[in-house]
Amino acid sequence: MSGKQFRLTDSVRNAKREVDEELAFHIDMRTRELIAEGVAPDEARRRAIAHFGDVGGISATLRREREARNSERQRQDFWSAAKMDIGYSLRWLQRNKLFALASIATLGLGLGATLAVVTVVNGVLVRPLPYFDPSRLGNIWMTMQGSSGDPYDLPLASGFYLDLKRDARSVNAAAFRSWSYSLASDGNSSPDVVSGARVVPEFFDVFGIRPLAGQPFTRAEAVPGAPHVVVISHDLWQRRFGADSSIVGKPILLGGEAHVVTAIMRAGFSYPRGAELPAPFQFGRRTDVWTPLVFDSSDVQNYGTQNLSAVARLKDNATLESAQAELTGMMKRWLADNAPELKLGYRITSMSDQASGTVRRSLLILFGAVIFVLLVVCANVASLLVARVASRQRELALRATLGAGHGRIARQLVTENLVLAFAGTLVGIVIGNAVTRVMLAMVPGSMPRADDVTLDWRVAAFAAIVAVLAGITFGLVAASSVRWNQLAGSLHAGGLRTIGSIRQRLGRRILVISEVALSLVLLIGAALLTRSFVRLQQVRAGFDPNEVLTANVGLPVTGQFDPIGNAPRWATALNGLTARLGQSAGVVAAGATSALPLSGAIEGGTLAIPGRPPDPPGQGPHAQYSVVSGSYFAAARIAVVAGRAFDASDDATGVRTIIVNREFVRRYMSGDQDAVGKDVQALFEFVRNSPMRRVVGVVENVKLTSLEEEATPQVYVPQSQFAYPGLALVVRTSGNPRNAIETVRAAVREVSPQLTIKDIRTFSDVVSLSLARQRFSMTLIGAFAMLALTLAVVGLYGVLSLLVGQRSREIGVRLALGATRQDVMRLVVWEGGRIAGIGVIIGVLGALAMTRLLASMVYEIGTRDLVTFVGATAIVAIVSLGAAVFPARRASRLDPNAALASD
Amino acid sequence: MAGSDLFTGTLDLLILKAVSWGPRHGYAIGRWIRTTTADVLIVQEGALYPALHRLERKGWLSEEWGESETGRQAKYYKLTTKGRSQLRAERRRWQVFAAAVARALETA
Repeated sequence: MSGKQFRLTDSVRNAKREVDEELAFHIDMRTRELIAEGVAPDEARRRAIAHFGDVGGISATLRREREARNSERQRQDFWSAAKMDIGYSLRWLQRNKLFALASIATLGLGLGATLAVVTVVNGVLVRPLPYFDPSRLGNIWMTMQGSSGDPYDLPLASGFYLDLKRDARSVNAAAFRSWSYSLASDGNSSPDVVSGARVVPEFFDVFGIRPLAGQPFTRAEAVPGAPHVVVISHDLWQRRFGADSSIVGKPILLGGEAHVVTAIMRAGFSYPRGAELPAPFQFGRRTDVWTPLVFDSSDVQNYGTQNLSAVARLKDNATLESAQAELTGMMKRWLADNAPELKLGYRITSMSDQASGTVRRSLLILFGAVIFVLLVVCANVASLLVARVASRQRELALRATLGAGHGRIARQLVTENLVLAFAGTLVGIVIGNAVTRVMLAMVPGSMPRADDVTLDWRVAAFAAIVAVLAGITFGLVAASSVRWNQLAGSLHAGGLRTIGSIRQRLGRRILVISEVALSLVLLIGAALLTRSFVRLQQVRAGFDPNEVLTANVGLPVTGQFDPIGNAPRWATALNGLTARLGQSAGVVAAGATSALPLSGAIEGGTLAIPGRPPDPPGQGPHAQYSVVSGSYFAAARIAVVAGRAFDASDDATGVRTIIVNREFVRRYMSGDQDAVGKDVQALFEFVRNSPMRRVVGVVENVKLTSLEEEATPQVYVPQSQFAYPGLALVVRTSGNPRNAIETVRAAVREVSPQLTIKDIRTFSDVVSLSLARQRFSMTLIGAFAMLALTLAVVGLYGVLSLLVGQRSREIGVRLALGATRQDVMRLVVWEGGRIAGIGVIIGVLGALAMTRLLASMVYEIGTRDLVTFVGATAIVAIVSLGAAVFPARRASRLDPNAALASD
Repeated sequence: MAGSDLFTGTLDLLILKAVSWGPRHGYAIGRWIRTTTADVLIVQEGALYPALHRLERKGWLSEEWGESETGRQAKYYKLTTKGRSQLRAERRRWQVFAAAVARALETA
């Protein structure tokens, strides 16, 4: 066997040809043997074949075996090569620690920010709501033509709801409303307040949810006079009742009355969740107790008290459009029969739109912003990589010489970058998790569906896809910047000079230019939001929140809501409380209001003004109204511009009085200088025929719903004449308002053991919280802009440093030929300025095209605000210049002799 | 047909042994088994080639194409490192087995 030459082919070859060849060889050898034994050639061949047996069958078996082996081997080859590549990559990254750390940290930061935003966007906008078949769930509102012509949403009146329930063919609707309860503790401490909802028995069926234990209440339990029952949330059950199932069937004390627990809901069900419904409806963040919403005979006829929210499930074959059409038809018929002059309508909206429609736009903008950051990050890492490849030319050349094909080297580069990208993604997931929590904490209680925000499979899939795409892209970028045709030459000593190809240099410039452009767009967006935010904080709110403590205090309301019968009790307790607090040490003035500015609590109602020419139907005087107690105007520092504030004379038996704001006078009383003393009629009062009320004062306009709102007509009535069971305390203190917390608690306990107190916070916190969403967008986009700008500057610095390094010889020549140091500095700075300048121009054009998206988020400035554009551009220009100065100085200090002597 | 069919395990052992001194092609392996067992064991081609491919897939044999004694290209089988240790193990097993059977037959 010696002298035999072997082919190196123990690899994948054509299975069929190989097997045929092998068997033919066997038969050939056998034939030769037989001939040697003296058999005639033809006969020998025949016998050899006959002896072999079923050639075709054996051949087929072998071929199958062979093909299986080949694919197995290919797989093994692939994985062993991958293992090799990964091992090699890890070793390479270990040798290039600084580069590895820089890239992984950059990627980690960018991906962390991206994943955080993606997690929130996914939870709030993408994930299905956590209910059965959520796409068929909706909310129903009434709409009313506003005085400006735009329809606005209203809750349903019980009459409308009951009509819907009886007649609608396309939906099953269930009404509910908020109702907070005090839940008695075991000890003697004051009772907790739990968020509750009164719901019709069909409510749980609409959601398609069954309780964990027990049965939800039945129709028989939702009639007037039925014994009190309650369904509790899983969360409350665990929190307050130690997850003890025997609670079902037992009574608990809600609002001072025994309610029998009929069921425990499943974990995760806490509808209504406050942030998903308009703030004025005052739903708690999560609902903990559900009690029956009871309708009596008068509710059937009530088409005027709009206080019900409604959920609906589309019936089979119905769509949102068909349901809307049916509801519109129903309302038209009702209006024709009852009140042809009114402009009312129904509106059905999908529950997911209802829940997160208000934040969709700003979240999508945030998503866009973070994608910009991700692009800057990728450009930065890619630029690092291109520089790396230039300095690795020799190493790659060695590998090529040792037999690695171009494909193999490219594959190695892709593997390296996949390893890099995955490491970056892992860091990103950790950072992203933390950032997600920070993001949610920035908007406490006001981010819809905050409970649904978790890192689920969608986010994981997104992270994996980004990692793979980034890795492959980086790998290809690196591979495309290898100078393949010069690989061999790189091994010669002269080839060590790494000037970098034109393509590499151009590539890095383009990357840095896009980084500058992207970060300028972000910076302009962030600056617009910041300027708006500053303006919002400077808005004249009409009140002074400093040094004021607020808290919600209330008496329990159970059973039928009876504002007339209970009025004296409510008025006594709450007026007593504000009066007592007004006398307390450290308190400058104390009052209370049903609508604390910027807290989300607002109510509106219509009024009639005698002598005023008739208004078009449905467009008469309308005002936000507040029920106030004690020295509210003094405590909130709302200026009284005419007449007087309420005082002790405005009691239950005295003349009915009202205070209006300047806007009310301007809009509805023709700016009457003598508004004080005129009579108006508040149609929103609980009584059927509202009495005339005498205007005793005119006060300054107050921002009630948001700092952005236009001046709105507002009126105030005294608690003594129009009592509410719960008000927000407004206590002006001398000094730190938090010092008054104990005073307030003590006063509440002394006035009535039944009084509950919750949401103790400073008025400033309330105002600050009302800006949470603006602060959220501003802070995040600002942080993204800073991150992007930093990376862009680092990128610019990198390119210029490399440039100085590569052209040191040329610079040396210039210096030797008499160029001054200034000339050299100018050369480098000019190069930096050119790159930054192009980036800035593209960035400004991009910003001009894109900031329109922010139109709904800026306040009092245009989306092309000149100051912002100039300012942001100047910042980018200055930091770019800063990035250019260091390499430029290094260049100007080059020793011409040394530079020329090098290599 | 003189001689009996081979057990699979025995055939594997003989094939490994056949290539233990150097690469051989399939025909030579078959002939080696026949001649060294003095025509007691004759391997059918229908059993030999599948066995060779099976052992190759197990990684005990590797293949090489080379010129044969007749000048024709032939596929040679070569013992891999893994195959060599397998041969040692199989051989020990066989010896233990054969001795045990022999002892059993003698005592009877």
